[in-house]
Amino acid sequence: MKTIDSAVCLPCEDGVPQVNGLLQQMDEWSVSHAVVAPSDELVAVYNEAGNGRIVEVVRGHPDRLSGLAVANPWYGAKAVTILQSAFEQGLIGLYLHPGRQGFHLTDEIVDPLVEACIAHDKPIYSHTGTPICAMPFQLAELAARHPKATFVMGHSAWSDFCGYDVIPAAGQAGNILVETSCTTGNFLRRLISEIGAERVVFGSAYPRSRYRHEINKITRLGLSSEILEKVMCENAKRLWKIVSV
Amino acid sequence: MKKIDTHTHLPGTRLGAPPRPIAEIRGEFEGDGLVGAWIMTVDGLILDANRGNDELASAVKDHQDFFVPFCTVNPHHGAEAAIRELERAKHELGMRGLKLHPWLQSFSMSHPAIPQILRRAGELGMPVLFHDGTPPYSTPLQIASVAEMVPETKIILGHAGLDDLYKDAINACLRHPNIHLCCCSLSCGYIEEIIRRCPVERLLYGSDGGFGAGLVPSAIDKILAVCDDERILRSIFYDNPQDVLPLA
Repeated sequence: MKTIDSAVCLPCEDGVPQVNGLLQQMDEWSVSHAVVAPSDELVAVYNEAGNGRIVEVVRGHPDRLSGLAVANPWYGAKAVTILQSAFEQGLIGLYLHPGRQGFHLTDEIVDPLVEACIAHDKPIYSHTGTPICAMPFQLAELAARHPKATFVMGHSAWSDFCGYDVIPAAGQAGNILVETSCTTGNFLRRLISEIGAERVVFGSAYPRSRYRHEINKITRLGLSSEILEKVMCENAKRLWKIVSV
Repeated sequence: MKKIDTHTHLPGTRLGAPPRPIAEIRGEFEGDGLVGAWIMTVDGLILDANRGNDELASAVKDHQDFFVPFCTVNPHHGAEAAIRELERAKHELGMRGLKLHPWLQSFSMSHPAIPQILRRAGELGMPVLFHDGTPPYSTPLQIASVAEMVPETKIILGHAGLDDLYKDAINACLRHPNIHLCCCSLSCGYIEEIIRRCPVERLLYGSDGGFGAGLVPSAIDKILAVCDDERILRSIFYDNPQDVLPLA
């Protein structure tokens, strides 16, 4: 079974994303492809540098990696320019982290970025699970406001929201997919049952989490091979338009 | 390697996991490689605390060699009534620790009864395990603010701050020698940082097991994914729980 990881934030050393540890883990756990985003200060402040470094990393490993762009909504029109430039350089979606970037998902300052993603037919991955700015119903509100956009609810909003808000929030907006990292296997079983396997994509949250835990918790569920293929690979392949897998 | 899980629950009528016979839960835990487990009520945190204590004590009475039961009390009953229940749980029911869950039980750590309850728990030799990691009532530093008032009582942050507040949990652990961290339900990368920065003798393993199959092995996986030092693993999985509350 092929695996696509939709949730990696490359760790940085001195502002430089470190990719070797990820590739080693991918090899060890037979992960075919990973969608990687910048982390830390590259998400919060130095967006152009972050995008540039992700472009470099992806170009070095085009069969194994695709990249997400960052653009802090507080940069206003400049953020849209940064995002469009990143798309032109080959990045395949937008990565939002409301906690790091200092905005609420419901704040209208993010709208221009969402509209740019719609115009370029690019999905939007958002970190979720962090109160008070990145909660499931806030993402649902944003998604309902932009029905032509496609959103990924990062980390299944892992925190005490798990099992309470995620499923009803996803139910409010059919343009949300839910990513599997950090939450429990038991919750994923219910999630798949209630919103459908087509709307669930595997993610590791590396380096926040590890493949050993994230893959084992899913394979232990005893899901059918058809559902596993959707969750571990096919949904992400279609979402991100990955052709190398 | 022997493993004791320091954060499990007796499923009840709330929070979605249906009630199961204690023997079945024990069998599941033993199958996952545990030699013991600290176990806490679910219903008692949401419904009636005293009744929850009775139900848990009754469930584990024939499994005292494996389960270490934690009682709960309701701080809203006031310090006197809560301490009376704590003493009943200790002396009549054989409970060995205290579990408090500020957001499920709807109390602030600034509630005036809390320091008295924690102090008495310490006098009774009962460690206090808190749910933590959840604003607005259950943050590590809120709990640490009261832990400082009761230095003789062992305080366990039951989720080591969860993913959003683990750095606060590390700070609390480093500042207060009576605070232990239970690495339960937070992500591997943060567990790795906790192991690197905190005194290893105050780290514990926990899974929230009891809510469903798979939680115990997943929680073990998280620690093994980021640590291969046998000495540290033995401390976290077995020696530290035995130091805090030895199995009967």
